[in-house]
Amino acid sequence: MPTTDKPNLPILQLVGVRKTFGDFVAVETLDLDVMEGEFLTIVGPSGSGKTTLLRMLAGMEAPSAGDISLRGVRINEMPPEKRPTCMVFQSLALFPHKSVGENIEFPLKMRGVPAKARKARALELMGVVRLPESYYAKNVMKCSGGERQRVALARALAYDPDVLFFDEPLSAIDYKLKKVLEKELKDLHRETGKTFVYITHSLEEAMVMSDRIGVMRSGRLVQVGTPEEIYAKPVDRFVSEFMGEVNVIAVERAAGVEDWTGVDVPGRFTLAPCQEIADAATAYVVVRPEYLRVLGEGAGADNALEGVIYNEYALGSRIQYQVRVGEKVMLVELSRAQALHAAPGQRVRLGWDARDAIAVRN
Amino acid sequence: MDQARRRTALLVSLWTGLIALLLYLPILCGALASLSKGRYFGFPVRAFSTEWWERTFASIEIGMIVENSLLVAALVTLLSVVFAFFGALAFARYDWKGRRLFQKLVLLPIFFPQPVLGLALLLWFSALGIQTSWMTAVFAHLVWIVPVVTLIIAIQVYGFDPALEEAARDLGASRWQVLREVTLPLLWPGIWSGALFAFLLSWGNFPLSLYTAGADSTVPKWLYSKMVAGYTPMVPALGTMSTLVAAAALLLGGLVMLLLRRRSAA
Repeated sequence: MPTTDKPNLPILQLVGVRKTFGDFVAVETLDLDVMEGEFLTIVGPSGSGKTTLLRMLAGMEAPSAGDISLRGVRINEMPPEKRPTCMVFQSLALFPHKSVGENIEFPLKMRGVPAKARKARALELMGVVRLPESYYAKNVMKCSGGERQRVALARALAYDPDVLFFDEPLSAIDYKLKKVLEKELKDLHRETGKTFVYITHSLEEAMVMSDRIGVMRSGRLVQVGTPEEIYAKPVDRFVSEFMGEVNVIAVERAAGVEDWTGVDVPGRFTLAPCQEIADAATAYVVVRPEYLRVLGEGAGADNALEGVIYNEYALGSRIQYQVRVGEKVMLVELSRAQALHAAPGQRVRLGWDARDAIAVRN
Repeated sequence: MDQARRRTALLVSLWTGLIALLLYLPILCGALASLSKGRYFGFPVRAFSTEWWERTFASIEIGMIVENSLLVAALVTLLSVVFAFFGALAFARYDWKGRRLFQKLVLLPIFFPQPVLGLALLLWFSALGIQTSWMTAVFAHLVWIVPVVTLIIAIQVYGFDPALEEAARDLGASRWQVLREVTLPLLWPGIWSGALFAFLLSWGNFPLSLYTAGADSTVPKWLYSKMVAGYTPMVPALGTMSTLVAAAALLLGGLVMLLLRRRSAA
C-alpha cells in the first residue's frame, strides 16, 4: 500500500453512475470508490466501457445518471480544466508544433507562471521522468515512442494533479520497453504519492502495477479487488478467463452435495465448498494450467482425467502441453525439470486437488 | 534493363515537357503580344516595344480597375477565411445534428455554373432593390469562394487529433487559450492555403463580376470588354501583369508556408 496521509479515504466516489449514448448503454449503473493515493487499474476488453468511465472521472463526459464526487464535493458538471485531475491519453496528445520543453510547460503557461520558473520546473520534471536535459528544445515529433511517453507523463505532472488518469498509454509500445515503463510508472506512483487510475485491456499490465484492479465487461463493473483476490477468487467465468489461460470444465450437480458430473468431459468431480455455488445446479470448474499435474503410476489426486498429448510448447522456463480429453483440450504447464519427454499421442492421466480449483458461476 | 529504364525516364521527361509547353505557351503568347510594337498581334513578332506596358501603367482608368480588383480580392480573402475557418470546424471537427446536411449544402454553390450563379444573384439583388457595385461583387465572390476555402481548411481539420484540444483543456487551458495555443497554430497551413486560393479565385474571377459588379469594373471584366470592342495591346499587357500578381501571391504564400514548416520543425 502506498504511503499517504489519509490512507483510507476515497478521493473520487461514483454513486449509481450510468452513461448512455442514445440507446447504447456504455456504462451500466455502478458504484466505485477510488482511494486516496492508490493505484487502481480498470481492466476490460475493448468496448467494455472502461474508457467512458475514465472520461467521466476526468470530466470529458457527464454521467447520464448518478453522482461523481471529489473528496465529498459533487463534481458531475465540473469541466476538466477545473478538476485537480489530469489524463495521459492513449494517443498521448502531445502538441506536435511545440518542443519537448514547451509541451511540459503547457499547463504552467496556462496558469500564467513566468517563463523562467516554467523552464526550471520543466527541467526538474524531465529529470523525474528520466529525459536528458538536452531534449528541452527537441521537437516532440522527433522523439521515440518511449521518449514521448515520458514527455506526456512529465506534462501531466506539471499540472500537479491529485489524480492522474491513464488511458492505455502503453498499448502501442513494444514488449520490452513496456516492461521498463510499467516499473517506472509504479515507482513514480510511490514517489509522488498521487492517486493513479489506469485503464488497460492487458491484465498482465494491471497485475504488475496496481494496488487494486476493477474488471469491466459490457459496461458492468464485474469485480473489484486486489490483484491477488482477482487471481485467486474470480467471481465468474469471464473474470477467470480474462486472467490468462485457464482450463474451464462445465459441471452439473450430482447426487452428493460436493459431487459434480462433468458436462463437456466425462467424470465425477469434487469441489472445495464454496459460497458462490452453494445452491447452483450448474457451475464451472476453473483449473489453472500450473495446478494440473500429470499423475504417474499409483499417484492419486482428488480429481483425475484421462487424455492424449497432442502438442508441446516451450514457454521459456516452463513447458506447456495440450492434452485432448474427449472433445476438450486441457492445458498443462510444467517446469523444465518436470518435463515429460513424451511423444504426441501418448496417453496421460491428469489430476488436481479440490483446493487448487476454483468454482464459479457462468 | 538499365537501358529500358533510361528510355522510360526520357519518355517521362519528354511527356512532362510537352504538357508544360501546352499549358504555358499560350500565357507566353499573351506576354509576347503585349510586347509587340504593332497594334495587332502577329506571329512572329516583328518589333518589340515596352510602349503598351508604359501606357497601361500610366492609364488612370486601369489604375482604378486594378484598385477595384485588389479591394474585392482582399475583402473576399479576409471574409472567406473567417467564415471558412468556423465553417470547417463545423464541417470536419464537431459532431452535431444536421452536420451531414451542412456538408452537402455548403459545397453546393461550387457545382453551380458560375454564370447561372451570377445571374441568379443579379436577379436577387434587383428584387431586393440593391444597387450592384463592387460590394455586391464581394458578396457574389463569397458565395462561390467560401465553400472552396471551407473545403481546403476542412482537409487540415481532418488531420487534426481532437484529443489535442481535449488534452489542452484537461491541462487547464480555457476555450480561448485552446484556440490560440493549439487549434490555430495547427490549422495555420490550411488557413494560409485557403487564403491564397481565396485571393487567386477572386482576383481572376470573371463571370460573377460581370453580372454582379454593376458599373464597377474589375481586371477580368475590363479585359473582356476590350476584347469585344476596342482591342489594344494594353489588353495582353494588363493580362500579363494580372498573371504576375497572381504568381507573386503564390510565391509569397509558398514562402510563408515554408517559414511555418521550418518553425514547427525546429
